[in-house]
Amino acid sequence: MAEKMVRVLIGCITFLIVALLFSILGVMLLKGLPAMHAGFLFEESRDFGRAGGVYYQSIGTLILMGVAVLWSLPVALGSVLFQTEYLDTGKLKTFLTQLTYILNATPTILFGLVGYLLFGVYLDTGVSWVTGSLILAVMILPTLQVSIREAVEALPEKYREAGMALGLSRPTQIWRIILPQSFYGIVTGVFLGLARAAGETAAIMFTATTFSGIQFPQSFSDPVPTLQTHILVLAQEASNPESIAQAWGAGLVLLGLVFLLTLTAWAFRARVVMESEL
Amino acid sequence: MIQFKNFVAAFGGRKVIRALTFNLPANSITAIIGASGSGKTTLLRALCRMNDRVKNFRVEGNVLIDGMDIYRPDTDVYALRRNVGLVFQKPCVFPKSIFDNAVFGVKEKMHRKEYPDLVEKVLREVFLWEEVKDRLGEKATTLSQGQQQRLTLARTLAVGPQVLLMDEPTSSLDPKSTAAIEKLVQSLKSRHTILWVTHQHDQAHSIADKVLIIENGQIAPFETPVARPEQSSSFTRVLQNVQEYPE
Ligand SMILES: Nc1ncnc2c1ncn2[C@@H]1O[C@H](COP(=O)(O)OP(=O)(O)OP(=O)(O)O)[C@@H](O)[C@H]1O
Ligand SMILES: [Mg+2]
Repeated sequence: MAEKMVRVLIGCITFLIVALLFSILGVMLLKGLPAMHAGFLFEESRDFGRAGGVYYQSIGTLILMGVAVLWSLPVALGSVLFQTEYLDTGKLKTFLTQLTYILNATPTILFGLVGYLLFGVYLDTGVSWVTGSLILAVMILPTLQVSIREAVEALPEKYREAGMALGLSRPTQIWRIILPQSFYGIVTGVFLGLARAAGETAAIMFTATTFSGIQFPQSFSDPVPTLQTHILVLAQEASNPESIAQAWGAGLVLLGLVFLLTLTAWAFRARVVMESEL
Repeated sequence: MIQFKNFVAAFGGRKVIRALTFNLPANSITAIIGASGSGKTTLLRALCRMNDRVKNFRVEGNVLIDGMDIYRPDTDVYALRRNVGLVFQKPCVFPKSIFDNAVFGVKEKMHRKEYPDLVEKVLREVFLWEEVKDRLGEKATTLSQGQQQRLTLARTLAVGPQVLLMDEPTSSLDPKSTAAIEKLVQSLKSRHTILWVTHQHDQAHSIADKVLIIENGQIAPFETPVARPEQSSSFTRVLQNVQEYPE
């Protein structure tokens, strides 16, 4: 009896979540599609975002995300390998793991604030894509760290032992066994990190982006336009229906981007499962 | 020459090997027999420091290989493990080609031009060459268990160890491959010091110079194969017959 009730309850919750997801998707499509026209993705925005497309905004978002991952990946990978391959004692390992989880749960506005204070106020570097990508990098570091560590730890112990028994040194072991065998897991982590970076607004708003009037950054100290800031600013012009329509359109593009990244991550995760069954 | 002096191996408070003292002469085959869980694998792993990563594992006393204490802090464990090759109870090949598996342990140590010769040499040594010479590029995971076991042995031999530790290497082999491996091990005796864990008394007595029985973490009194030849069973005779026609 009780079991039946629990089952019904879980069923309801699942249904609610799925319904919620689909209604968000539905609304996004409904509101966003009208703004889409042939060149929406490849046209410059005009008239303060009220017309035209989101070309430079999309590029800006991609630049910020990509560069953030470039900063973050070596650090994440290095710290994971240090934890799993070089640390033999348990205590420091547990501590570092806890630290990543705490970092992962920190509200992103805090990263934005700290980044703003450090770069914008203290170092006075101004608003630039380099600063923004650095802050994003710190922010997605735990996401990358956790998923890469899971991939490396899922590696069957027997491979490690077989390598050890052949007298491979630690760097050789990492290069020849750990990295190749957990490759797909690492790629999955990168895509999840990218998806997280794409969904982020607060952390980069003060430090990396401006609204309109700019195209590609010409130097390291230039800001970039991003979809996130574009949406935020346009959405505030509630009295102007064209702005709102454009905001929905940009939202749809961003959603599509995140969707694509998550799907790719899934595809790679499926490969991981296949590999570990070998 | 391997010397154990009051050697103790323990997981936390549980001593698996207690106060072991004995010598193994170089270029000999020693068989180790013991009930399941008696610590045979632990003993072999202790000899190449494979338990360094295991949390509460600890040792007391000394193990000396050619007079060097392998648990001294300044020991180069990687050189030690290349000198003391371990073949696992369960074969573990890498999900790579047969060729890559055979040279896995020496890739950094030699030029790639030397790989093919080495691969042929070690695969011949383990009587696997004829079976796989036309499919060296295929994944090693497509081989049968017995073939995989011989491949892991070849992979270990490629590194050129002086001591060879084998943990029930024939437990997944058919009588023919078993006989082949036994013959192989005997041929390796001139260059290697071999420790062989087995559950089969017959096998131990027919191939080894010395048989050690482990009980309660200690060695029961020595038995030598000469001491009880009359007890060799019909199975040994079958094996011996097979041995005369290995291919
Ligand atoms: N990593 C470990 N942590 C804790 N205890 C262990 C560990 N490895 C082995 N042991 C214990 O050490 C004892 C000896 O195990 P070992 O694997 O050496 O036995 P064995 O003689 O090889 O047995 P078998 O014939 O079944 O292979 C067992 O009681 C086992 O539970
Ligand atoms: Mg065992």
